[in-house]
Amino acid sequence: MRLETRRLLDRAFSSLGLIAIGVMALALVVILTPIIVRGSGAFIFRSTIEHRKVMFDQWDRGNAGRLETAKAEVAAARQPVYDMLAAFNTELDAMPRADRKPYKQSLRDLEKALAGLLGPVPGERTPVLIRQQYGATRWDRTQIKLDDVLTTEEWDYSDPTALGKLVRTPRVEQFRGTKLEPLFPYVEQNIKAMMQPRWTCYWQFLFDTSKDSHIFGGIGPEVLGTIYLTLGAMFFAIPMGVIAAIYLCEYAREGRVISFLRICISTLAGVPSIVFGLFGLAFFLNTIHISDSKSVLAGALTLSLLVLPTVIRASEEAILAVPRAYKEAAMSLGAGRWRTVMTVILPAALPGILTGVVISMGRAAGETAPIIFTAAVSVGRPLLPLEALSQPTPALSWNIYNLCTEHEAVDEIRHVQYGMVFTLVAVVLLLNVFAIIMRARISKKLRG
Amino acid sequence: MSAAIEMKRASSFAGHAEEDFSLHPAHVQTEDFSVFYGNFEAVKKVNCNFPEGMVTAMIGPSGCGKSTLLRAINRMNDLIPSCRAGGTMTFDGENIYRKDIDVVSLRMRVGMVFQKPNVFPKSIYDNIAYGPRLQGIKNRNDLDEIVESSLKQAAIWDEVKDRLTTNALGMSGGQQQRLCLARALAVKPEILLMDEPTSALDPKATTKIEDLIGQLRGQYTIIIVTHNMQQAARVSDLTAFMYEGTLIEFGATRQLFTRPREKQTEDYITGRFG
Amino acid sequence: MKPKAHSPKRSLVMNASTSRLRRLGAFLGQGFLFSVTSLSTLTVFFIFYFIAKDAFPFFKLEGFREFFTSTHWYPSGHPAEFGAMAIFFGTGLVTLGAVAVSVPLGISAAVCLSDVLPFNTRQIVKPVIEILAAIPSVAYGFFALVVFAPLLQNHGGIVLSTGAWLILTPILSLLVIVLGDLLADRFPEALRRKARWICTLTLGAAALTGMMMLGNHLSAIQIASGTNALNVSIILGIMALPTIVSVSEDALQATGRELREGSYALGATRAETIMKTVIPASLSGILAAVILGVMRAIGETMVVWMASGNASRIPEPWYNMLEPVRTLTATIAGDMGEADHVTGSARFHVLFAMAFCLLTFSFVMNLVSESIVRRSRKKLGK
Repeated sequence: MRLETRRLLDRAFSSLGLIAIGVMALALVVILTPIIVRGSGAFIFRSTIEHRKVMFDQWDRGNAGRLETAKAEVAAARQPVYDMLAAFNTELDAMPRADRKPYKQSLRDLEKALAGLLGPVPGERTPVLIRQQYGATRWDRTQIKLDDVLTTEEWDYSDPTALGKLVRTPRVEQFRGTKLEPLFPYVEQNIKAMMQPRWTCYWQFLFDTSKDSHIFGGIGPEVLGTIYLTLGAMFFAIPMGVIAAIYLCEYAREGRVISFLRICISTLAGVPSIVFGLFGLAFFLNTIHISDSKSVLAGALTLSLLVLPTVIRASEEAILAVPRAYKEAAMSLGAGRWRTVMTVILPAALPGILTGVVISMGRAAGETAPIIFTAAVSVGRPLLPLEALSQPTPALSWNIYNLCTEHEAVDEIRHVQYGMVFTLVAVVLLLNVFAIIMRARISKKLRG
Repeated sequence: MSAAIEMKRASSFAGHAEEDFSLHPAHVQTEDFSVFYGNFEAVKKVNCNFPEGMVTAMIGPSGCGKSTLLRAINRMNDLIPSCRAGGTMTFDGENIYRKDIDVVSLRMRVGMVFQKPNVFPKSIYDNIAYGPRLQGIKNRNDLDEIVESSLKQAAIWDEVKDRLTTNALGMSGGQQQRLCLARALAVKPEILLMDEPTSALDPKATTKIEDLIGQLRGQYTIIIVTHNMQQAARVSDLTAFMYEGTLIEFGATRQLFTRPREKQTEDYITGRFG
Repeated sequence: MKPKAHSPKRSLVMNASTSRLRRLGAFLGQGFLFSVTSLSTLTVFFIFYFIAKDAFPFFKLEGFREFFTSTHWYPSGHPAEFGAMAIFFGTGLVTLGAVAVSVPLGISAAVCLSDVLPFNTRQIVKPVIEILAAIPSVAYGFFALVVFAPLLQNHGGIVLSTGAWLILTPILSLLVIVLGDLLADRFPEALRRKARWICTLTLGAAALTGMMMLGNHLSAIQIASGTNALNVSIILGIMALPTIVSVSEDALQATGRELREGSYALGATRAETIMKTVIPASLSGILAAVILGVMRAIGETMVVWMASGNASRIPEPWYNMLEPVRTLTATIAGDMGEADHVTGSARFHVLFAMAFCLLTFSFVMNLVSESIVRRSRKKLGK
């Protein structure tokens, strides 16, 4: 081949590698962007008057006086809607029976859509479910609910070869010529006055319990559950892992037994996480009955086994990175092996061990499969520390799965799902960034 | 008496009679002492004695076993898994390779300074107090006193007395090495082993360490391994020349450097190899 | 000169009782350390034992035949059917897909990281990889289900054709350049310059037309369900990337500078050095990286559970990535919720049987990769 071509190929080769790295970075950005953007929407968003009502009724937050004024303003803005409905009802009563019929179903649908947007009609009996007591709490949901009021949606399956198509038709068509016709433009134009959207920072999202299975409120129990599980897992994994690393690095003589132990560790690292979950179920719960039902304790133990290999490896690396000179110096001053480990090697290895521990914490916080059968429930209240020994808990990772697959109103609570993912990812990333910075400082120290 | 001692005695009677080293009681004495790494014999049946209160230098090309022999004196070689020793090495009348020897006590009585300054990543104070604390000294006043006197002995007190609590890693290489010396002295050893203590230092710091060795002469038995023949000539009373694990010649420094008895010694000190 | 008075001399010889006490202490201490170490490492046997203990009743009750050969999976039916072949197949398909995504990307990224990028840039890229590795699997699953699946379902054709363009453009342009050059070499010296241009242009045009046709074909495709094997394969591939990149980068680095310098000194370009000397020398390490990546993809639960569609049947045709599939891990996670109440039944034990298969597979894979790494280390003399 000609030299030029070889050079061209060389450049192409390098750019191929660069493209691969670019794709990787792109994947990271593509995955993180929606999580961050929409996740922060769970904390900072335009809330409507309904949100303020929920906050005041359920959590005693907000200024009562100001809320009453706002309520009055909103009620005034909404009154024409109810007036029009009442007028239409009288109109309907005046109609002949046969004409009345087609309007009945349409009216019921409209009333349902309006309740979704504005909440129950004032003066009517308060519904039992909390979710039916309030209208749309968020401005973005308000837009969707408004669409529901203004249009009806239907699936068009007329073409059998293609997939069904969604068709929206204005609802006003159903009420042409009646007293309800002006309702639709009125609602569309006055939606702001009826909902009073306002930018809110709902930071309590992190700590609040949820009301009516996550439709209102925050993710407090999940956050707490994740903290319990993570700290519990580290409580077991750190001592075991560090002791194992000390033994392997400082005491063990290389031989059959040790290489066997090492194979065990690497096998443990390769065990799929769902198998850990099954093991936790079969051993901790069904065999030694560590608690009557699923519990945080069982989950933490299972997770600790999962992160154990990581902790052992990180600690081993950190211990091996301690210069041999330290060990020799301590020995020459008359320190025994144990004293050397405790006074010199461990303190010097501590930052490295901590780095590994922090990374494992991120792993433990994010793992779902091991806790499905051992610790996690979908809905629960925040546990007291002692209750964690015997009771299951909701946890971020599990509830993300649960809310976006098994919840009855998946679309209603997208913001909660995103908020949870955002919180979990933020926690894990912060832990990792902390570890990365710490490692950079260690390597600088070892080099300098 | 071993053959080497006989030889050395003969040499000092024959030529330089300015000081008779044989009159000094032996502090460390080896008899047919060997060290093996696996199957490799790094030190081959060495017989010699290191007299009390003297500075003995060990020279020889790299890999000749001088460091191994030095490290054998406080059993630092125990750290190397495949390493074992043969023959006897006596310290203060006891064979230190006997089974019932307390290695920890041995190392407290035999201090060591290493090739590279190996201060702990702790404060200066904690570095010095490390050894005394191991011995169970907890009283703050006692510790203060030991720290001060050791640092003074190592001639570094004036430089660090205002920053005893700062991390020792922030000091210059020469200071660190003197701190290591002070740390070894704080245990109040009888013997100081120095394994090429100046090889990582600049000339100025080297001079300071050499001066210190001069000041410590007589108070401690000092055994120093060095690559640098001028250094051996400057600081030591006695010099041992080793080659390929064997002790070739052992005698008064001046005699060994001016009138070596062995051909190999002469070749080495005149720079024909090594 | 008299030696300075030292602190009271410690006796070098331990008396018998101290010696015994000391030895006992050391023995107990080491024993403690050893037992903690073995306890934590031998956990893996506990896992094997307890999974196997609950897996064997299934084989005793139902035998092996149906489990491995039938595709009928109705564990709650009457009579219950436990044909897991489609599930095994789904696992394999998804894993293959993940490998197809992650191996080429991962290895080129590793090469770039170890040989192309300057040190400073590497320090920036490495955290990117670490963050990719750190994102919890449930977050990937959430992305796959909530963002990626609707995208595939609503704009499947566009996504597919964009993907095809992205992948094929660099590969085809490389191919065109090389082929054009090789063809031009066959012409006589005088014509070569012109011939090169003509060859390259013709080939380029041909490639472009092919691409256009493929793109049109792909963008006409409609995807019935966004939760399918393709979705999961891509996400799993991204998840396996960090493992593959970091392990194979280690392998590439381990070959050392001397080897590279030897090749450069003979006038090889960087690409030639890497392709002809560095990669062959570190092939076993790269293989180990691929195996680890495969293990990560097979063992992953949440993504496949959330976004694979969980349909227990073999796609038509078998390589159709656009159909939903079901994997072992997702089956375990999904069915245990119901099977939990019927502890002791075949429905309960079949899940352990699946876990046992997973465990055995990962164990064997692990041993293979360990032995590969060990052998290559020996070969490199490290």
